[in-house]
Amino acid sequence: MDVWSSLMDGFATALTPMNLLYAMIGVLLGTAVGVLPGLGPAMTVALLLPVTAALEPTSAFIMFAGIYYGGMYGGSTTSILLNTPGESSSVVTAIEGNKMAKAGRAAQALATAAIGSFIAGTIGTALLAGLAPLVVQFAVSLGAPSYFAIMILALLAVTAVLGSSRLRGFASLGLGLAIGLVGIDSVTGQRRLTFGQPMLADGLDIVVVAVAIFAVGEALWVAAHLRRSPLHIIPVGRPWMGKKDWARSWKPWLRGTAFGFPFGALPAGGAEIPTFLSYVTEKRLTKHPEEFGKGAIEGVAGPEAANNAAAAGTLTPMLALGLPTNATAAVMLAAFTSYGIQPGPQLFSSQGPLVWALIASLFIGNLLLLLINLPLAPLWAKLLQLPRPYLYAGILFFATLGAYSVNLQAFDLVILLVLGALGFMMRRFGLPVLPLILGVILGPRIEGQLRRTLQLFAGDPAGLWSEPIAVVVYIIVAIVILWPLLFKLVRRNRPVPASVVPAHPSEVLLGEDDAIQADQNSTRIHHNSHHNKEKP
Amino acid sequence: MTIVVGYVPTPEGEAALTQAIAEAKKSNDTLLVINSSKGDALVDNRYAQEPEIQTIEERLALQGIQHIIKQPVRGHDAAAEVLDAADEHNAELIVIGLRRRSPVGKLIMGSVSQRILLEADCPVLAVKAD
Amino acid sequence: MSTLATGLKGRAELGVALLLGAVGVLVFLDANGLVTPYSKSDPVGPKAVPFVVAGLLVVCAILLAINVLRGGKGEVEGGEDIDLAHPADWKTVLPLAGAFILNILLIDWAGWVISGTVLFWGSVLALGSRHYVRDGIISVALSLATFYGFYLGLGIALPAGLLEGIL
Repeated sequence: MDVWSSLMDGFATALTPMNLLYAMIGVLLGTAVGVLPGLGPAMTVALLLPVTAALEPTSAFIMFAGIYYGGMYGGSTTSILLNTPGESSSVVTAIEGNKMAKAGRAAQALATAAIGSFIAGTIGTALLAGLAPLVVQFAVSLGAPSYFAIMILALLAVTAVLGSSRLRGFASLGLGLAIGLVGIDSVTGQRRLTFGQPMLADGLDIVVVAVAIFAVGEALWVAAHLRRSPLHIIPVGRPWMGKKDWARSWKPWLRGTAFGFPFGALPAGGAEIPTFLSYVTEKRLTKHPEEFGKGAIEGVAGPEAANNAAAAGTLTPMLALGLPTNATAAVMLAAFTSYGIQPGPQLFSSQGPLVWALIASLFIGNLLLLLINLPLAPLWAKLLQLPRPYLYAGILFFATLGAYSVNLQAFDLVILLVLGALGFMMRRFGLPVLPLILGVILGPRIEGQLRRTLQLFAGDPAGLWSEPIAVVVYIIVAIVILWPLLFKLVRRNRPVPASVVPAHPSEVLLGEDDAIQADQNSTRIHHNSHHNKEKP
Repeated sequence: MTIVVGYVPTPEGEAALTQAIAEAKKSNDTLLVINSSKGDALVDNRYAQEPEIQTIEERLALQGIQHIIKQPVRGHDAAAEVLDAADEHNAELIVIGLRRRSPVGKLIMGSVSQRILLEADCPVLAVKAD
Repeated sequence: MSTLATGLKGRAELGVALLLGAVGVLVFLDANGLVTPYSKSDPVGPKAVPFVVAGLLVVCAILLAINVLRGGKGEVEGGEDIDLAHPADWKTVLPLAGAFILNILLIDWAGWVISGTVLFWGSVLALGSRHYVRDGIISVALSLATFYGFYLGLGIALPAGLLEGIL
């Protein structure tokens, strides 16, 4: 089979000693930044972009893949041992995981998270390898109008669904699109938003923008709000699980994977929704309902698997369509661009060996994570005692170094500071960062697609909906945008108990999808109450 | 008068606290418990958390000892915090816990206890965990 | 007290609306100033998308202003190392920004080794470390290591500046 032989070629590339070394570095680095407060995989990949410019693209992406999966793993470690989830996707893991750790079952919680991540990551990567070529086959048959529509959908869906305020999401998107406009227009050679400044003519380097928003903005923001009272970390030995834990974990792992992958693969999926759905499902199906809220292993196994499967799922649209749906994927896409590689459906044919080596390295990285990290857990916990001044000064130092080394212009550092201040302001006033980055990356491509389309149809706007797929996508776009209105109408006609969801931090993050949750919960509660009434 | 005890949630810290309670009972003094952190890292296991502090609080109340518990996080090291508190309250005694250390370990690490011993203006009682 | 505080906060967020509006107007004016003859091969032209972006920004600015005046508030971003219980600590942020700006001013003239040292040392200090000597040594070591690392490992020659000839 074609996929199979390509994948084997990918393994051959990824298993060379050098690339294996990069995978190892990526996995260790990723776990470290996942564990360290204030650092995340997106920021790390952004900081590494300039440094890796001298590497083979394949090696660089193998390392990025390791960072991506490693960061996920490190995040779960801190949420279990400290109850401070660094990313919204590990909020759910912290609920039961930290309770387990407090009850002296930290080793089991870490083990089920690690093994579950491995299984979900492996299944997810296999699905990615199988599905992505199919998506590509479908995508290459699409014309410019459909592709334009799909990009619009990805952009709007991420903006509208994630985050707590759509309005602020769109504001962030607008800023990103404006940043993307800066520079010489590739079609007409006109200078846009350069203000006569020749250094702006080439546009703002995506590396500088990503480093500014993710690293400088974040470091300044954390510096302004440093946590003053230190926390205790729960001491842990080597993670392990007993027979009973295995028996209770394997089904949640598989179910979590089933939730995670599709949500990750859809634009605007993200990992918050599937982790929460997995948690709710496990809570409903468990044979030990009394343990939920006190440290039930199912509540760690399911969401952690969902989290990692979603991470694999996210790579499907990223590789097959060139559409990133989370921050790390967005920065990786920026990396493609900075290597001069055009992301999109052509990627599999034009850069086949690279893509398959990347997918193969995901399998390898997953295995490495399991092998290296299970014994290393106590060491990772130690990392949290690193004094903060060095941590955040280091971020600023390497951000500066990276941004400067791209063009060796002090001017880029001015941009870095200005956009860093913008990133600070966005965090302060609740503007989500992801739409901005997507706007910067996708904006110019969307404009190019739009102009190509209308060129084909000699300026007739009807050309935009000349393909059936495009029409379908526009309908979906309309639904996504009008969803809150529709939901309000539905709610008015059929009153639903307002808030039956237990108070929970991720609730805020879910945006429109709390609709689904609320519905599910309410049906469950109705069901239960009927049950109770009939029994006596 | 006041007795100052430098507390950390370790066997040495517990030993110091136990000894300090005994001293405070004997002389009917106020006990000032200092548990500080530099606060420069996300995690500091030497900084007692809420439940531990509550346990100490109850223990002291049960013994009928007048007490103050302070948890300064100001970027100073533990020695400075204990010495500061002793100065401020005119302490008549400082109680600290000592860790067993090899001479080499001592050489490399420097020591909070040593600074307190050298710089304190009042008697210092150093106890070891058993 | 609380009404005053919320009033001030509301006003601060209006600044965001103002920024959005200003960027929107700027994008519009800039695009409007472009002169493009109509061409068959590019019916959209370089103006259309900037106009849409400007429109989006201005609409967002207006809606955000209305939202804020009605009492809406952006959700401040939290994180594992973030404590939102106390207000922004400008005594840390401003010196940090100062170290950063000093680096920008110094880098081309004094070279990376010196400006990088200033940046790291200044940042560590701003963030509250008080081990002046140890921090200084770390800063110099880090700057030198990255200078040679970039030169030998990546083939990127960072500016040597004042130390030209020594390094």
